[in-house]
Amino acid sequence: MSASTAQPRRRGVGTPRWLGYAFVLPLMLWLAATILVPLAQSVALSFQNVRVIGTPGEFVGFANYTRLFESERFWEAFGRSLIWVLGNAALQTVLAFAAALILKQNFPGQKVARIWIILSWIVPTVVVVIIWRWLLSASGGIVNYALVALGITQEPIGFFSTGDGAFASVIAINSWRWFPFQAVILLAALQRIPSELYEAASVDGASTLQKFASITLPGLQSVLFVMGLIGTLMSFNVFDVIWLLTAGGPSSATTTLPVLIYDTGFRQFRLSQAAAISVVTGVFLLLFALVFMRFAAPPSDDGEEERL
Amino acid sequence: MHRRNSLMLLVLAFTLIVSVLPATAQSPVEVTLWHMEQPPHRVERIQMLMDEFNAANPDIIVSQEPQNWGEIYTKAPAAVAAGNAPEMLFAIPDFTPILKDLGQLQNVADFISTLDEAHSFYPAAVAPYSYDEGVWAVPLYNMVQSLWFRNSVFEEAGITPPTTWEEWLAAAEALTTDGQYGIGVPANRQLYTDQTIYNLMINAGADEIYNSDGTLRFSNDATVAAYDFYSQLYQFSPPDSPNWTWGEAEACFANRTCAMIMQFTVITTYDTQAEGDPEDLGVVAIPAPADAENPGAISYANGVMFLTDDPAKLEASQRFIAWLMEPENYGRFLNMEPGLFLPVTEDGAEAESFWNDPLVVKYRSQVETMVANSASGRLFGFTNGNTFPSISAISAQNLLAQTLQLIVIDGTAAADAVAEGQSLMEEAISG
Repeated sequence: MSASTAQPRRRGVGTPRWLGYAFVLPLMLWLAATILVPLAQSVALSFQNVRVIGTPGEFVGFANYTRLFESERFWEAFGRSLIWVLGNAALQTVLAFAAALILKQNFPGQKVARIWIILSWIVPTVVVVIIWRWLLSASGGIVNYALVALGITQEPIGFFSTGDGAFASVIAINSWRWFPFQAVILLAALQRIPSELYEAASVDGASTLQKFASITLPGLQSVLFVMGLIGTLMSFNVFDVIWLLTAGGPSSATTTLPVLIYDTGFRQFRLSQAAAISVVTGVFLLLFALVFMRFAAPPSDDGEEERL
Repeated sequence: MHRRNSLMLLVLAFTLIVSVLPATAQSPVEVTLWHMEQPPHRVERIQMLMDEFNAANPDIIVSQEPQNWGEIYTKAPAAVAAGNAPEMLFAIPDFTPILKDLGQLQNVADFISTLDEAHSFYPAAVAPYSYDEGVWAVPLYNMVQSLWFRNSVFEEAGITPPTTWEEWLAAAEALTTDGQYGIGVPANRQLYTDQTIYNLMINAGADEIYNSDGTLRFSNDATVAAYDFYSQLYQFSPPDSPNWTWGEAEACFANRTCAMIMQFTVITTYDTQAEGDPEDLGVVAIPAPADAENPGAISYANGVMFLTDDPAKLEASQRFIAWLMEPENYGRFLNMEPGLFLPVTEDGAEAESFWNDPLVVKYRSQVETMVANSASGRLFGFTNGNTFPSISAISAQNLLAQTLQLIVIDGTAAADAVAEGQSLMEEAISG
């Protein structure tokens, strides 16, 4: 291939500008239909007093929002959501880092291990939940059987029987499910860091910790930023694992905001109030994303902060 | 080539002719039943009956779609709103007000009268579905909770089956040994827990949740006594009881981890997964305080609602239900889960098809005890001839169970929890 043929083609040469818009138009229309329309409907619903889906409602102004901000249940669920996000972030980051660093090493069976680790991520949530409920069951679950047999506990533990126990168990199970995804991303980023940097640092007498702090972490900054943003947003909105494991219980101990929205809309039959919680949650997450991008974005190669 | 073109033209002409033909009157009317009887053997029995009906009525095709009690309160209103509701949907009394509000539920008063002339409904079965100048479901089968145990376990412990709360608590304590819990009582925020706590409320004299004027009277001394006693029993229950539904309780009893449970029936599970010894399977009425004036247990008739106003589909649906209520079919329908579903009609209670089922023959004394227990059955929100449709909001949120969780999970005193429960109920039924 000659040097001239290796030149990248100039974008847009010979193609009308409208063709680009035409290509993205179907996707934009699809997104508008599936995101903007329901979003607008949710906002409209939040200003009404609809209870059961399909029944008419009247305009009530900000009554649902007033009620929401005065509700103890809302603030408790909000607090639990924050703990949920922090707990998952901490546990998943530690597990993902450890797994990625191990998988980066050369050892027999490395390729099998790299495939094996994503199994928990590709297994459907319902299956994950059923497996963990069986494992942790107080009536015949293997974890309790092992704990009692090894003399660690005298009686089976009800992992989902107390508020704190259930919340911790759900965080652990959700982290178990998601950390391989993060580990794979981290592993890909780790492999992009030139090995010459580590070799040079070794020649200079840098310790492992110094190499991690001065080479590995800066090298992962962009990936960690994206993981922090996307991971937080995804984690905040987790509903399936919590609902299937505990349905928000016992005694509302695992009722995070997504669970509260479902509970309000479809068990309390207060659809408009559920919509108000959704809107507030959406606004909060939007603000979080803006602040995170403003203050946590890593500098780009030319020294300026990256913008998404 | 010419021959191929001719063939193509022939196919095209045939397609055109078929497509312009009107949907003939010969086309069978298709109706769908949503029910929540998910266990495979129940689905199989319902399908068997549908196949028989469809064969005998070629102008109708009835099909089933099993659903889940945990989701149906959400799914059914959404289906109605989306125009995808089934023609028939099984119900329990507190479910009907939710669908009635959507305007699709059909008044079946005339149909009930016709069926009543032929089969004589027990009035208590129809009453919970009768309000707002209509009857909103056809009762199909009754259920009642009882206390289940093994006679041999009691004999080994040297105690007799309890009849009073004092004896019951003592038995739960005595039967709690290595590897066995004295009793299994749920504490999940779910319908099963609503039912088991309501058993104790009935026997404590707190079966009325409403005053006659529709205001709530949940917070009272009798309710507190019921919750307090439940929390005492809960001490002898397995640690995962806060996650239980009916299946976990039955499994706990079948594998001998629980010495006693409150349940509608355990007959099928006991017969297929445990010893299957009818002499050893004990069942008595739910124990009550020694001075209880009107003891009983939770009991209610499941029914079927009609959600179509299409005359042809409504007529087809009613023909299927009328066929099902015929004694030669009705017993087989009830015995989709032998010993669980009890008749709601007089001729159904005498039907050979009910009493001749092999499992009913084997456990006849237990079934007769259940039938006797059902005579004093009650359901929250539908007591003493009153029907309060707002109970659906309380039931859908499982507020009886949520009140219990305040005590056994959060450690709140029974009186405070019951007071909190009442305020939750007031909020639930408010506009």
